[in-house]
Amino acid sequence: MPTLTVNGRWVTVDSDATLLDAARAAGVEVPTLCQFDGLEPWGGCRLCVVDMSQANWDDDWFKVVTACNHPVEEGMTVVTDSERIIETRRVVLDLLLARCPNAPLIQKLALEFGIEQTSYTPNPEPDDCILCGLCTRVCDHIGVSAISSINRGWGREIAPPFNEPPPDCIGCLACAEICPTDCIPYETSNAHRKIWGKEFEMLRDPKTGEAVITKEQAQHFAERSGVPMTYFETSDRSKRREMAKTFEKLQVVK
Amino acid sequence: MKMIFKVSVERCIACGKCELACAFAHGSEGRPAKTRINIRRRGPELGTPIVCFQCDDAACVAVCPTEALARNSETGAIEMVRSRCISCRMCVAGCPFGNMLWDETYHCVQKCDLCGGDPRCVPFCPTGAIAWVPVEEAAIPPEPLDRETLVFEGGV
Repeated sequence: MPTLTVNGRWVTVDSDATLLDAARAAGVEVPTLCQFDGLEPWGGCRLCVVDMSQANWDDDWFKVVTACNHPVEEGMTVVTDSERIIETRRVVLDLLLARCPNAPLIQKLALEFGIEQTSYTPNPEPDDCILCGLCTRVCDHIGVSAISSINRGWGREIAPPFNEPPPDCIGCLACAEICPTDCIPYETSNAHRKIWGKEFEMLRDPKTGEAVITKEQAQHFAERSGVPMTYFETSDRSKRREMAKTFEKLQVVK
Repeated sequence: MKMIFKVSVERCIACGKCELACAFAHGSEGRPAKTRINIRRRGPELGTPIVCFQCDDAACVAVCPTEALARNSETGAIEMVRSRCISCRMCVAGCPFGNMLWDETYHCVQKCDLCGGDPRCVPFCPTGAIAWVPVEEAAIPPEPLDRETLVFEGGV
């Protein structure tokens, strides 16, 4: 178990931990946008940059690395609040604010770094998407891969193939739920769901009509996990009622 | 000593104290609708407490795409790791007993986590319908509840 210092505080973490884990273990807050515990780190938003120096390096030699995907090593020194780190994060947020001037999350984070108005030319077509890739990564992780990033540079965006309703999408809403700026629109009710321009029919409880998942979702996860399809067919409320009925027999009233 | 959550359905009088205790123990609102132990009421003083079984081969764990549900080896409870949950609601649909609950307010899944080894509902149960007992005692059949002579402390 490697031991390292974060902002002068000694901390011991698991050998497969990242610098971000170490910082959190030391109680040091590092801002992140594209990091999610259930997914592989990606280093996309560049907000979690920290100064890092290894044990055998010169004392004043530090390298700027992304904390979310940099593995820990014995005797490392990590500094999260040096002048150049704060400046780097400020520039990143300034650029993000130029891209997404209307996203409350970005406005709030930028304000923490003293940016009220971006110093760059604001995006002529304001968009709340920060291209953090959480939506595409979670879609890959689930085993669907219905959406991906298209084009490069200025024109890069997240979209289904050919900008058409994606045939592979199962309508699980994971992309919309995970989005840090809530910029993926969807509609959902007990009967229908619509996301990425694709319409879904919900798997409704035959008695109550309640539904939490789509038919495609049930099929995909039944195949993936080996859980029988019948488990998905009734709502949680109905299942609780059925279970209560099973146990009623035990109740002997005197 | 390994402890287990024991429910004796025949002793439940549907008073709802466990639901209230649970709602207060989890989250600040204390709304009984947000409880993780549910009583199915079917007549005066008759009900069935429904709570997570912490299944060995659990459907919720099998369907979870981000491994957000993991067993706590100390308490034996399957716990939801909030930072890994993507709110896809597959576990809500997959649990064959309906014990995964969706919280619309906080937009996340709720499940019984045995309060980390000290279930808060247990001390509030007036009849011992729910209990936190050593595993060896789990199979002992509960004494039948004499509902005619039921008197509570400081009774009416």
